[in-house]
Amino acid sequence: MKYALYLGCAIPIKYPGFEAATRLVCERLGIELVDDLPFSCCPPPTGLKMVHYDSWLALAARNLCLAEEAGLDLLTLCSGCVNTLKEANQALKHSDAKRRRVNKILEAHNRKFNGAIEVTHILDVLYQDSVVDKLIKLMAREIPLRVGCHYGCHYFRPPQMMYPNELSEAESYVPVRMDHLLSIIGVEPTEYSRKFLCCGSPLGANVDTEAGYAIVAQKLHYIRQRNIQALSVICPSCFEQFDMGQIALSRKQKDLSKIPTFYLTQLIGLALGFSPKELGLDVHRVKAKRLLESIDVA
Amino acid sequence: MTIKIWKFFDREELYECYQCARCTGSCPAMEVTAALGPRGTILKCLNLGHEAVVQDEKVWFCCTCNVCDDRCPQQIPISDLLVALRNSAARRGNVPGRLLLSLELLAKTGRTMIVHQLDEMRAHHGLAPLPPAPVDEVRAILKRAGLEEVLDF
Ligand code: SF4
Ligand code: SF4
Repeated sequence: MKYALYLGCAIPIKYPGFEAATRLVCERLGIELVDDLPFSCCPPPTGLKMVHYDSWLALAARNLCLAEEAGLDLLTLCSGCVNTLKEANQALKHSDAKRRRVNKILEAHNRKFNGAIEVTHILDVLYQDSVVDKLIKLMAREIPLRVGCHYGCHYFRPPQMMYPNELSEAESYVPVRMDHLLSIIGVEPTEYSRKFLCCGSPLGANVDTEAGYAIVAQKLHYIRQRNIQALSVICPSCFEQFDMGQIALSRKQKDLSKIPTFYLTQLIGLALGFSPKELGLDVHRVKAKRLLESIDVA
Repeated sequence: MTIKIWKFFDREELYECYQCARCTGSCPAMEVTAALGPRGTILKCLNLGHEAVVQDEKVWFCCTCNVCDDRCPQQIPISDLLVALRNSAARRGNVPGRLLLSLELLAKTGRTMIVHQLDEMRAHHGLAPLPPAPVDEVRAILKRAGLEEVLDF
């Protein structure tokens, strides 16, 4: 099992701990990562796409071309990256006009979009049967925590774009894979009201930080109602909303209890026996130390 | 240069809208800002014309969460409408300042994020330095794709 690793911007630059955790987990589970490809920013569905679609498409196409040249499917670690790269891949495969336009731009750099690869996300890669079998065999400990999953809007919406083969009767898609995967490592995945509400990140980043935090504050309200002990995310922007967001919110409301947030591969890594430090947990703003000590993980 | 937005989004779709507000009812941006909201955006496009919509800074008050698109019983591709409207707004100089800054960074470095002491931070997690992105190729592609219509770089 081999993928072209697409790191994006936020993970290698802001949250390299997620990258470290992902590399350790993939190596242990026999997922080979090829990562010497000169990618650029994806670019984000919340940024360049909104401002200049043609530039967004052309730059995304270049990233797709690099994976095509290497003959590998593209593995992303972020809900934003997977959204851009899946949508661009699909748009270019299905529209002759768009493909022609983009290839004309890329031609000067000896690149051509052929539509030869697929784009995937680390959650979907880990969810494959052969990987789960390996995880069960290699598990070193259980992680018995009540965890609330947050998927990140761009990981699965619009569903017709992200999971066209798995639509419900209402042509929608409700993600469950993170909950299922975590239950394998002894986590108690815990439902909460408005689980699929946005984290507020794009609104905060582009327009109004406070408004973005007001959305995550709502989410946290529902999460606290269910006595959830920790959160699991698959996107660095969502992570920042929960981690930094709780620090910012607690400045105004001092008595708020804080809930640590994990990137998915950090939780899987703990189950595989890696230490919190190896998985980069030491730099999170909301510390998980005490919680992990309560289940004898140090 | 402005764009003809109805080339990117079929205007007839607007008439499919019930104005039922199923979209707006689950719009997170509406809960915390004075956003136009998806239903209101469609109504304004019909009543006032899209020119009025794209000049309004509130057209940017959105999480791009695509819930509206997902929930619309008429399957109106609202996400596409929002992209078309904002692309059009950007060509008229209506773009949030922060968003422009991140695009300037992209055009300058090939990435949309920058921190101090990156190598040290990565070394702390046992990671090698991050190779620079291929800025020259990225800039050339952005220029040929026409980004200069909205951003000097
Ligand atoms: S959900 Fe669809 S039909 Fe209802 S108001 Fe929104 S856009 Fe119109
Ligand atoms: S995409 Fe924007 S307009 Fe639509 S529901 Fe989300 S925040 Fe509201």
